[in-house]
Amino acid sequence: MANARQTWLLERGALAVGPLALLVAWTWATRRPTRPGGQVLASPEQIFGTVRELLANGQLLHHLSKSPVRLALGFGFGAGAGLVFGLLMGLSRTAEEVCGPLFHAIRQVPSIAFIPMLILVFGIEETFKIVVVAKASFFPVALAATDGVKSIPRGFLEVGRVYGLRGPALVRCILLPAMLPALVTGIRIALGRSWTVLVAAEIIASESGLGQMMEMGRQTMRQDVVLLGVFLTGTFGFLLDRSMRLLERRLAAWRTA
Amino acid sequence: MTAARSGRTVGRRIALGFTLPLALGGLWHLASRRGPGGAYAFVPLRDVAGGFLEVARSGELRYDALSTLREAFTGLLVGSVAGVAFGAVLGLSRTADRLLGPLYHGLRQVPLMGLVPLIGLWFGNGAGAKLLVVSLAAFYPVALATADGLRQVERAHLELARALVLGRRDTFRQILLPSAAPFIVTGVLQALAFTWIASVGSELLFSATSGLGGFMALAQAAGRMDLVIVAIASIAVLGSLMNVAVTRLGRRAQRWRHAS
Repeated sequence: MANARQTWLLERGALAVGPLALLVAWTWATRRPTRPGGQVLASPEQIFGTVRELLANGQLLHHLSKSPVRLALGFGFGAGAGLVFGLLMGLSRTAEEVCGPLFHAIRQVPSIAFIPMLILVFGIEETFKIVVVAKASFFPVALAATDGVKSIPRGFLEVGRVYGLRGPALVRCILLPAMLPALVTGIRIALGRSWTVLVAAEIIASESGLGQMMEMGRQTMRQDVVLLGVFLTGTFGFLLDRSMRLLERRLAAWRTA
Repeated sequence: MTAARSGRTVGRRIALGFTLPLALGGLWHLASRRGPGGAYAFVPLRDVAGGFLEVARSGELRYDALSTLREAFTGLLVGSVAGVAFGAVLGLSRTADRLLGPLYHGLRQVPLMGLVPLIGLWFGNGAGAKLLVVSLAAFYPVALATADGLRQVERAHLELARALVLGRRDTFRQILLPSAAPFIVTGVLQALAFTWIASVGSELLFSATSGLGGFMALAQAAGRMDLVIVAIASIAVLGSLMNVAVTRLGRRAQRWRHAS
């Protein structure tokens, strides 16, 4: 028992060794100007100083609060529309035959390639960012919803009919719960892509947000600001992905049970 | 009888599939005729065709498309080689997996386009910086596929290697690599889609003027919506062609695996 615990601790500890070694190497290399990173790399202390500076002048919170709001708005519109559209395509063959080809054609275009067109149409304000995030969210969710509906065993629907469920009630009581695991996977993919494309959109044209913070850092040669931005975008993306994965696992557990 | 019937359903499918694009095209056409504002956002389709002919005749489109393609494939090559090497280290050594795995998975979480400012700061915004971003797009999935493939080598095969007293090198070359190969091939094929997106994206973000991304950025700056649409369509068509090719090749790789 104690042994198992020890191995567990060792295994966990080993996971921290890599990042810690990197941190030590980083600190060492930037400690003195004569060392390899002394001239070109910002040091960990510098980054902490940057955090303090940007917190004090409110910039960090300003940028940090803008991006998630855009993500939430765009994702809300895109995923909501994607869910409805996906349900429709999964339920009705005619709807699929009419919308499917165009849907799959547009799906092929990387969201990032739409940015110039959206800037021409909507200008460089908030709208184009929300629209491009909505585009990036719409397709994975719609696809997951369509596949989710199609993979529901017929028996489920028949049981629903036996209980006299129709229309919205059938969707709410049978379809949504049965397709939920597939849908959550689609939502996870949608969030990941939306986050990437939002950061790209903010780099291209914005006055706030993490992407813009990094771009300003690049233009003013503030490497510490850029590194902090990379760290924050990565952490935020990681947390989004991890929380959706946890949700997926819980839903999958329910399914196999 | 059945042939005639399936012929009819195919006809029906095609007819229905064209309904929506044609309807939207009609709406687009109507919107483009509603004053100068409409014509700006919804460029008349004739202008789009004209724009296409213009850049197709001048060779501009082909030049930029080829340059983006070259970038995507160079990045695929560089990223795949590095990915296979790194993935092999992760897949073969548990210690390396423990030490480097968390770093790898952590870095993978940073959106690729979010690395553009950092890479721009370190390496400028020339061809080298773009190649690095595109290679990274291939590196992550290929490393993952290689490590997974090596971990799933069948025990019996490894025992055989031990029974034959194969050296480390021979075990790797004759047992490990062949059984991981289908995974690696699938990973590389999947990576192509990522490098394609990354090439276009990095061209847009690095404010360089080459490739389809650069073409689009210039067209946007000049307010030429028709050319922006031509670029989007080219990106879509080339991307889908690659997708089709990749799916075919991938099926072949899988078939080979089942046969063995």
